[in-house]
Amino acid sequence: MGVLKAEPARAQDWAARSVGAAWRAFDWQMTIFAVLLAGFGQAMAYSNTIAAGDGVFDAGSTFARGLVWAAFAIVAFVLAAAFDYKWLRTFAWPLYLVNLGLLALTKVVGDGVSGAARWIPIGPFQFQFSELAKILMIVVLANYLASRKAKLDSIWTILGACLLMVPAWALVLLQPDLGTSLVLGGILAGMLFMSGASMRWLSVLGALIVAAIPIAWTYVLIDYQKQRLLSFLDPAADPQGSGYQLLQSQIAVGSGGFFGKGLTNGTQNQLDFLPVQTTDFVYALLCEELGFLGAMLVLGLFVALIWRILLAAWRSQDPFGLAIASGIASMLLFQLVVNVGMVIGVMPITGIPLPFITHGGASLISIAIGLGILQSINIRQTRAEW
Amino acid sequence: MVTAAGSLVDERPARERQLIRFVVFGLVVLIGVSGLTARLVYLQFVRGQVYQARAEQNRTVSQSIPSTRGLIYDRNGRLLVSNDPSYAIKIRPSDLPFSRRDEVVTRLSSMLGIDAADINVTIDSNPGSRFDLVRIAQGVPVATANIIDEEHLLLPGVEVSVESRRHYTDGPLMSQIVGYTSAIDADTLKALKDQGYQPDDLIGQAGVESKYEPYLRGTYGQETVERDATGRKLQVLSTDSAAQPGDSLVLTIDTKQQQLAEKAVTWAMRRAGLKRGVMIVMNPQTGEILALVSLPTYDNNKFANGISRKDFASLLKNPDKPLLDHAINEQYPPGSTYKLVAALGVLSDGKLGPTELVQTKAFIQIGPDRFWDWNHAGFGRLDMRSGFAHSSDTFFYQMAQRLGIGRLAYWAHQLGFGAKTGIDLPGEVPGIVPDEQWKQDLFGQAIFPGEVLQAGIGQGYDTATPLQVLNAYAALANGGKLLQPQVVREIVDADGTVVRPFAPTLIRKLKVSSENLRLMRLAARQVVTSRHTYNLADVPVVIAGKTGTAEFGVKDSRGRLPFHNWFVAFVPKHGDVAKPDSELAVIGFAYDSNTVGNVATEMVKYYLQLHFNVRHDYRRFDLLRKGNFYGGN
Repeated sequence: MGVLKAEPARAQDWAARSVGAAWRAFDWQMTIFAVLLAGFGQAMAYSNTIAAGDGVFDAGSTFARGLVWAAFAIVAFVLAAAFDYKWLRTFAWPLYLVNLGLLALTKVVGDGVSGAARWIPIGPFQFQFSELAKILMIVVLANYLASRKAKLDSIWTILGACLLMVPAWALVLLQPDLGTSLVLGGILAGMLFMSGASMRWLSVLGALIVAAIPIAWTYVLIDYQKQRLLSFLDPAADPQGSGYQLLQSQIAVGSGGFFGKGLTNGTQNQLDFLPVQTTDFVYALLCEELGFLGAMLVLGLFVALIWRILLAAWRSQDPFGLAIASGIASMLLFQLVVNVGMVIGVMPITGIPLPFITHGGASLISIAIGLGILQSINIRQTRAEW
Repeated sequence: MVTAAGSLVDERPARERQLIRFVVFGLVVLIGVSGLTARLVYLQFVRGQVYQARAEQNRTVSQSIPSTRGLIYDRNGRLLVSNDPSYAIKIRPSDLPFSRRDEVVTRLSSMLGIDAADINVTIDSNPGSRFDLVRIAQGVPVATANIIDEEHLLLPGVEVSVESRRHYTDGPLMSQIVGYTSAIDADTLKALKDQGYQPDDLIGQAGVESKYEPYLRGTYGQETVERDATGRKLQVLSTDSAAQPGDSLVLTIDTKQQQLAEKAVTWAMRRAGLKRGVMIVMNPQTGEILALVSLPTYDNNKFANGISRKDFASLLKNPDKPLLDHAINEQYPPGSTYKLVAALGVLSDGKLGPTELVQTKAFIQIGPDRFWDWNHAGFGRLDMRSGFAHSSDTFFYQMAQRLGIGRLAYWAHQLGFGAKTGIDLPGEVPGIVPDEQWKQDLFGQAIFPGEVLQAGIGQGYDTATPLQVLNAYAALANGGKLLQPQVVREIVDADGTVVRPFAPTLIRKLKVSSENLRLMRLAARQVVTSRHTYNLADVPVVIAGKTGTAEFGVKDSRGRLPFHNWFVAFVPKHGDVAKPDSELAVIGFAYDSNTVGNVATEMVKYYLQLHFNVRHDYRRFDLLRKGNFYGGN
């Protein structure tokens, strides 16, 4: 609210008329779906904590950390919702520079997981700035697209958006974090498409990307990334090597059945058969322990959440709000399909977390900020009817 | 820029144009999620059975291959322990559903004859994780093991494993020396996990089994094993490293001498109603321990078979501490045996001439206190040899006064008191040699003059282990070499190659002239020939030695203190105590003896009779009668 005081007349104006109206415009469904998804994530954190042999409320246990991050996420969500989203446009360029700075910092001081520098230690916690980078890039791109609303048919709009993305892409790839760079690509594509960029030029660009894949394979990708990408095609070829994770993941999913083995009863999880069960493969353990029922509930909640976000995009009165909403929807959809696809063996292993479910503070807080901005959009679209 | 409300109107047409794109986006969501759903259906329903089976079965475990533990022989090559194949019952708690635990424990309890409560305690105090095996029973009969194996469906999480169990040939006879192996506890496991110890491992817990654990254990191997859901080993997938057998030990102990010593101690204890008795036999030339008896003792085979909680508790509760080796793990006042310290001290410091006469008295008065000679009369004027032979207290009070507490402590340390001898058995205690510093540190007071007198005759603060006393006299017998006592002669590897040969280890050469040592050997001989030890002089073996009667505890109604009896002796090789050639030194210790004569002397006498095959029996049964003997040391 402090920010709003910068323009006293407006703040009064807003405050006088809006509390009731804003309350009505606040999208409760979106919030509830998100909270339920985070609840599933926390349930899996509980199971993983048991599997690790830690006390549930021990400092540093996955479960305890999850609770702390959830608290931070709620604060981030409330602040973002209270903040008038249109102000983001003023700050878009500084945000862009901060974003690139944080990504560069990650490259310099990041803590390696599987040879990649992604984690920045902040006190007892670690923060993955590339998660925040997705939301910041969405804001930056939305600002750009809104400013080009009259020239959406031009190829230059598309190329300009790509150009904005290139530095972030490069920094993320250097970490190296293939997954996040792909998500950024998905976000860019989704936002261009939904904002109304020229279909003709988008098709041409898509064709060019397909043609560039062999080149990227040779010159951009690092050996371990290639190995992981290939192993999904035939995980059984090297069951103790690079295909091990995929094989164990599918065994975990497949052995879950309809009702699952029950929370904390998954043998694949509890006996450590599935490496990195707390990170990108959590969904496999969810399938194992909560079964088809739990897996479908999570998919259903995602569909519902994306639907509410698209609704926010539709209701948005300006191209900036529309672009932000479509960016967040694209991000969730892309990560959902690629992560779950990876876990169930139809997509290559790319190291993309599943929003809400994968344990990680940065991911949760970034999504909370994104959803907060969407609520801010919802609240502030109804003014025309007052 | 879109900041003013006015511009909102302009954007409305733009939205209509995008409807198709919303529809397309929505379709992408639906197609994506439908694809994922289809794959989930395939994995969880179509292929569900296959994956469920794989999750259950595909549980490879890396486990260690136990090495063959090294053997233990006596000095003549007699096998003291063997590795017998035996069945152990173990539980993997993660495979035992909580809801079925009571049922399984009850079933096991009736099959194994172990208290169900004991089994539960064992599972709950498991040093490893829920996924590690817990040892429930060992040394299980084949028939029982077979039944348990066949009924594994009724006993989820229960495993039968074949392992080798220690069988100790002589049981209690050698327990204090050999020790035993038993299940590792949580703290030890934590400390040794890096060395490849397993939660269900066995480890040497006492005696040389513990002291030489790293040699005896060898190196465990590693293998990758496939297990099914009930934790049963299905097949070995690969052997990652082979097990290396442990080294074997050859002890310095002579089983024959150990038996004779035990016979002598047992006789004396039974006859005199003693609660604790010790005898150690040593070769003074090398420091080799030939026999070491500490009674009461325990049966190490009970531990090797997995001792029941009840039996273990009763061993722990026994006030005479059968689990302790009283020869080294406890310290007692050494009494008059300690007079050797003051004797060598005054002679070496030149505070007393070899033939100088000293007036002994009924008592020595210090302030209000009288320090009595043991016969309450004195012995007239005595030289060192007679003073030692009569064990005159007032003689040695004066020797202590001449030395002062500092020099007295110095000579005690010279003879190995107040420090561990370094014997290769666990839990040795150092004893106490009081001096100014010690008293200051402990009580914040100076030593009183009366305490100096007491320190000269092995009373007051002086404490020592029987082994320390024996070792001091061994140094006297061998001409001044204080040696480290040893119970392990050689370490031999699995191929029979000697890894560590025997070598006597010198602690220090005593700073005592050979004349003074010779004088004290003659004095020790005179203890026997003066009939201070009654008819020991009649035994047809030349024996030199020293008695001790050490008071301890609290006075009885007539103002008398209970006491321990000591007798430490050595036998010159060719019958001449003037020569430092003895190869046999013996100490007897009788705890709280309460007899009219010195039980320890009778005990040693009996051992030497047996050792030298003396036909006539010189034992004086009358000296072992109960009676609050006071004096006669």
